[in-house]
Amino acid sequence: MATDNTDPTAEFRKNQSWLFDSKAGGYVRKTAVGLLTLVIAAFVLFPLYWMIVTAFKTTAEIQQIPPTLFPAEFSLEGFRLVIESSLESSGYDGFVESAFGVEISSAINIDIIGMILNSLKVAIGAGVIAVVLGTGASYVLSRHEFRGKTALMSLLLASLMFPGTAIMVPEWELISTLGLFNTHLALILIYGAMTAPFVVWLMKGFFDDFPDSIIEASRIDQCSSFETFWYVIVPMARNSLIASFIFAFLLAWNELVFALTLLDGQNYTVPPALLTFVQGFNTQWNVVAAASIIVSIPVLIGLAYIQKYFVQGLTGGAIKG
Amino acid sequence: MSYVDQAQSSYESATSRIPESLRVYLPILPVMALVGLFILYPIAQAIYSSLFNKSLLAPEDAEFVGMGNYAEIASNPDIHQVLWNTFVWVTVGSVAAIILGFLMGWLLHEKLPYTSVASAIVLIPWVLPRVVGASIWRFMFNGSQGVVNQLLVTTGLTDEYIVMLGSSELSLWPPIIGMIWRLAPLFALLTLTSLQGIDEHLFEAARMDGATPWERFRHITIPMMRYNLAIGFLLMLIYNIRNFSMVWVMTRGGPGVSSSTLPVMIYRSAFIDFQVGFASALSVLLFAVLLVFSYYYIKFYDKMRGGL
Repeated sequence: MATDNTDPTAEFRKNQSWLFDSKAGGYVRKTAVGLLTLVIAAFVLFPLYWMIVTAFKTTAEIQQIPPTLFPAEFSLEGFRLVIESSLESSGYDGFVESAFGVEISSAINIDIIGMILNSLKVAIGAGVIAVVLGTGASYVLSRHEFRGKTALMSLLLASLMFPGTAIMVPEWELISTLGLFNTHLALILIYGAMTAPFVVWLMKGFFDDFPDSIIEASRIDQCSSFETFWYVIVPMARNSLIASFIFAFLLAWNELVFALTLLDGQNYTVPPALLTFVQGFNTQWNVVAAASIIVSIPVLIGLAYIQKYFVQGLTGGAIKG
Repeated sequence: MSYVDQAQSSYESATSRIPESLRVYLPILPVMALVGLFILYPIAQAIYSSLFNKSLLAPEDAEFVGMGNYAEIASNPDIHQVLWNTFVWVTVGSVAAIILGFLMGWLLHEKLPYTSVASAIVLIPWVLPRVVGASIWRFMFNGSQGVVNQLLVTTGLTDEYIVMLGSSELSLWPPIIGMIWRLAPLFALLTLTSLQGIDEHLFEAARMDGATPWERFRHITIPMMRYNLAIGFLLMLIYNIRNFSMVWVMTRGGPGVSSSTLPVMIYRSAFIDFQVGFASALSVLLFAVLLVFSYYYIKFYDKMRGGL
């Protein structure tokens, strides 16, 4: 059957494709879409499901072959071991024993509370640095024309591309030279530097769309440029600022390579600490899963908050979502 | 006088000697100092170090070898395997993540209710701490207790459990699957956002003109999304090529170098073999590839924004 493109009517096209226009085709299509949805959903969600059920299994059940799809016995052993071990390594075991009469002796050695505190320190520090420095720069880059601007923006964008692994060695040397080895300040500065360009791009997208009339109005009301920035623009930029902060926070919370090379065991943030535990001899997977869930909670809260900024941030405000 | 005024007057007195034309650079300086010291300087240092035979244990004994490290890369017996692995990661990993992500984004846009809730859930693999995601996959591919093996046995694909992470023929694939799992949601989100950005009237008009769904897809959806797709495509390539944690957590690049990619090999040569010069030369190689990608990334970015 020859296709006649000159005929503009929809009528003509009907029955050209049984898949799109017949009733049977409709069923085939719906089934295919349904199956596709199921397969994709299973692929995305199953690992998450597996992490959760693993966390609630007993050690004995973890080692069972074949693995059980659902915990036969709902157990908090994994969480208990994580928390006990954490209390023990922070030296609170004696206190808990006398206060609650619970004896703590854990077979594992992972100080999850300590490492979460380390991570919080690093992630908040990096977020504050990136947002404070990045916002000021992005305001100028958005509102003023000056020489070298395009080159600067390209340089900032390009610096986002470079992987941590490739600059790890010079970074290690630099940090040692500065005397910052095994300090959290080193990570705060590096993560701040890694996310500041990102914040510049995200905030520039915001400032570019910021209406001139508001700034002019505040000029007429005799606000200085500082006052305009602080009292008028910053409050309106609140959401973008929070999103920038969370981006920086998440990067710092998740980063492995620098934390692994620039810190010693007792100062570890979450990712390297979890890594040593995962790769340790005779890994107890219910404990790993429990620890994983605990350290993922801040991330998921952050995600819920910034979900709508996510794409905007990735493409630097290119898409209005 | 409010603290904002105080800040302004102290800013003005501090900068009074700086010419007006240069003052505009001042707010940019701190960022550039930070990025310059901790990102750009290390990049330059890596390029410089790649010309020396240098050990991490005794960096002061560095010996200038010119292109020697690059010659060593070319003759290294492991490098072909590693480059091939990196290539497989980038092509297979990116293509699979793109197709899967596109389908996910399309389903979220057209077929699923509660799009915002569903897309938040779908995004979880992407935002989860890298080590957490990789650990889950490591456990699922575990040789003795792993659920993947059980699935293969149940479906009759294999007779017995395979120690995939410890096998030099198979160890490359589990981390790639993990990475597809992590990256596809990101591409899905990009797809979803750009689908939502297309004006419905275009489809309406095309329908009136009698365009089939395929033609509408081919002539409206794809062209309207092309910059977003280009950015997404480059992001997939970049994330795959620089991925370290998925490989390192799941296999440590082993056994041998069977699952090592370029970043893993850099890490191993620097922090296990202490060969800083060699590692730096590998880094330069990685930079070169990424520079090409970032050139296109910036170009497409430019097009979308209409100039920087």
